[in-house]
Amino acid sequence: MVNSGKPNSDNMAPSVARESSKWVRRWAVAMTVMTFPLIWVGGLVTTYDAGMAVPDWPGTYGYNLWLYPWTTWIFGPFDLFVEHGHRLLGTVVGLLAIGLVISAYFWESRRWLFAWSLFVLVAVIAQGVLGGFRVVLDARTMAMVHGCTGPLFFSIATATAVFTSKWWKEEAPNSGKSPIGFKTALFLLAATMCQLVVGAQLRHIQPWAGPRFFMTWVHLHLTLAALVSILVFWVAWRNREAKRGESSGISGPSGLLVLLVLVQLSLGIGTWICNYALPWPGLTVGLAQYTIQAKGFLESWIVTGHQATGSLIIAIATILACRTGRLSYHFPK
Amino acid sequence: MTQRMAIENEMSMDPVRDDVQTLLEELFGTPDVPKWPSSLGSSEFAELNRPEWLDRAAGPVGRANDKIERGLYRKHCAHCHALNGDGAGPTAYFQNPYPRDFRRGSFKFKSTPIGQKPTFEDLRNTLKRGLAGTAMPAFESLTSSKAVPSTGDNDASPGEDELDYLVHYVRFLSIRGEVERRLLMKASSQVDLEKGERLYDPKLKGLDATAYAKRMEWVDSNIQDVARSWVVAKEKVLSVHEVKELRFELPDDLKSSRVASFKVSVERGREVFQGATAACSLCHGKEGEGNGSAPDFDEWTKDWTIRAGIDPKDKRAWKVMKPFGALAPHRDPPRNFKHGVFRGGSSPEDIYRRIVGGIEGTPMPSVPIATDHPQGLPIEQVWDLVNFVRSLQYSEVQALSSSSSLDDSKGAK
Repeated sequence: MVNSGKPNSDNMAPSVARESSKWVRRWAVAMTVMTFPLIWVGGLVTTYDAGMAVPDWPGTYGYNLWLYPWTTWIFGPFDLFVEHGHRLLGTVVGLLAIGLVISAYFWESRRWLFAWSLFVLVAVIAQGVLGGFRVVLDARTMAMVHGCTGPLFFSIATATAVFTSKWWKEEAPNSGKSPIGFKTALFLLAATMCQLVVGAQLRHIQPWAGPRFFMTWVHLHLTLAALVSILVFWVAWRNREAKRGESSGISGPSGLLVLLVLVQLSLGIGTWICNYALPWPGLTVGLAQYTIQAKGFLESWIVTGHQATGSLIIAIATILACRTGRLSYHFPK
Repeated sequence: MTQRMAIENEMSMDPVRDDVQTLLEELFGTPDVPKWPSSLGSSEFAELNRPEWLDRAAGPVGRANDKIERGLYRKHCAHCHALNGDGAGPTAYFQNPYPRDFRRGSFKFKSTPIGQKPTFEDLRNTLKRGLAGTAMPAFESLTSSKAVPSTGDNDASPGEDELDYLVHYVRFLSIRGEVERRLLMKASSQVDLEKGERLYDPKLKGLDATAYAKRMEWVDSNIQDVARSWVVAKEKVLSVHEVKELRFELPDDLKSSRVASFKVSVERGREVFQGATAACSLCHGKEGEGNGSAPDFDEWTKDWTIRAGIDPKDKRAWKVMKPFGALAPHRDPPRNFKHGVFRGGSSPEDIYRRIVGGIEGTPMPSVPIATDHPQGLPIEQVWDLVNFVRSLQYSEVQALSSSSSLDDSKGAK
């Protein structure tokens, strides 16, 4: 009985199915778009070490999350503002995921996509609970895990947006059209994920860790940065060679990845200078004169921007992997 | 062979280190729950000790239900300076200079002479303005730390901010660290490990109360000695002998009628700078570009290299200490004044004190003044030196100094 209102893909007119599934797409896109600021603010939580600015969970200082006095939130200490804001944004993304499930249930003709939407909902709930445990247990290691699974959810959300896109449904898969192999695209995605996990080790380094432990992660981060950069430029070059004026759906993401990697490398250097300064202060007058401002506006946004851009690179690499998979018949329509 | 012996010697110190750590924990608590030693409970040390300072600065980061932020040291400092203040936090490896090791009780930028502790304000100034060109940030934002509006009962005392709590905690860690060093020194020189002697044995209290009391008396007197050096620091501040006509406001005075007398003072300062008494140019170079003789190592590095028979210049030799957490020795280069960066403060008074007081723990010596020492510099010459050093960042002064306009101004005077 519950399913009585659900359209049957076999007997529904294609135009109605296409029209109605717009709503699934809209929810998916809205969820994906809202996840990016959520990741930004989550990054600010780490930058400002604000994870324990609110000591309880799921409430905020005993209040229901949405009923916490807004004046105290807005005009209170900045760490409280950031942490509570992160929680509010998290619930917004959670609500959008619920909307996605409902819309997929009623309007999505592809059964596997409905199952996927349920998975998305479980993923966002798990991410929220992980964040909650970080607070309840006051566990910084869990903060690091939460910081890694956040971009993973962003990747899942992005994949959902790709699955529900017009391109996915209407673009006829054309074997051999993709300039790069599916495995290459997956490898690039995995490399960007690994890079983010390694970056998270640096961001969440425990104060009792030794200098050599940190040094090992730094070297690994630099190595992976080189690997990801080479891969991204190689993919762009392959795409340029193979495209010959014909769009395959790969050009956009691969071009964007080149741009983002360049931005990310610059932000990486900036992040290093903002956190640790360069070991050669006499190199230029500017470096010699620069004093890092603790939790300064510019410094915080550069550092957080580096982390958020890393997540954005993962999202674009996800689009690339999904589309490559679609073009090479690895994914269902 | 030398390497193996060094490591074996270090290994044999393990029981001593354990004893020292047990004793330190008993006296000073842990990084999560620190405490003041009972021997510092008298009124003499009251200004160093207030429970709420430790409560706010130490422990894990976050706010409890009272909405008061705690764990300030771990939030702002521990990643570089480490939880115990030994300067070997996780990020230390990549920094140049390395983060300060508080355990030596030595601090570079202060208003007191070499050998004396800095004042509370000295440390606060360093934290507030940061150190340009290094990883030490400016914590200016902590001077306006905001309390949560809905609370009020547990707010900071009037006039105190989060920066104050950090300064107090740095001082606490320094006292703890210096006591640690003294205990280790005593153990290495006076405790016969081969005979099974121990620096500290809690069981001794029940077995031989008199021996235990005697040892603790020694420990307490050392703690008090170290703490006292911090209490008296404010009485040791170097006075600045003002010479009004030689004190200039830069860059404003470069455009005022005082520019001529400034340039004359700069020229005299140049002679002192390059002369034999102050001998600044030996390290800083003739034109103050920091390109004099090869830079030396600082005292923190010499502690575990030269004084332990290791040549810090030998890239292989220092690695003997690597297993114990040693980081590659860095040289301490003299400042290039053309960058206009004065880490200890850029006011004329700050620079005067740097010259007269030196920079503790670095190759920068103090230059005595004539009133204190027969071969010292006259006060006017110290001010000329201050003016020369400050002038180097202004290219227009340099250009004018080498042109005829300077001769004109000399003539005018």
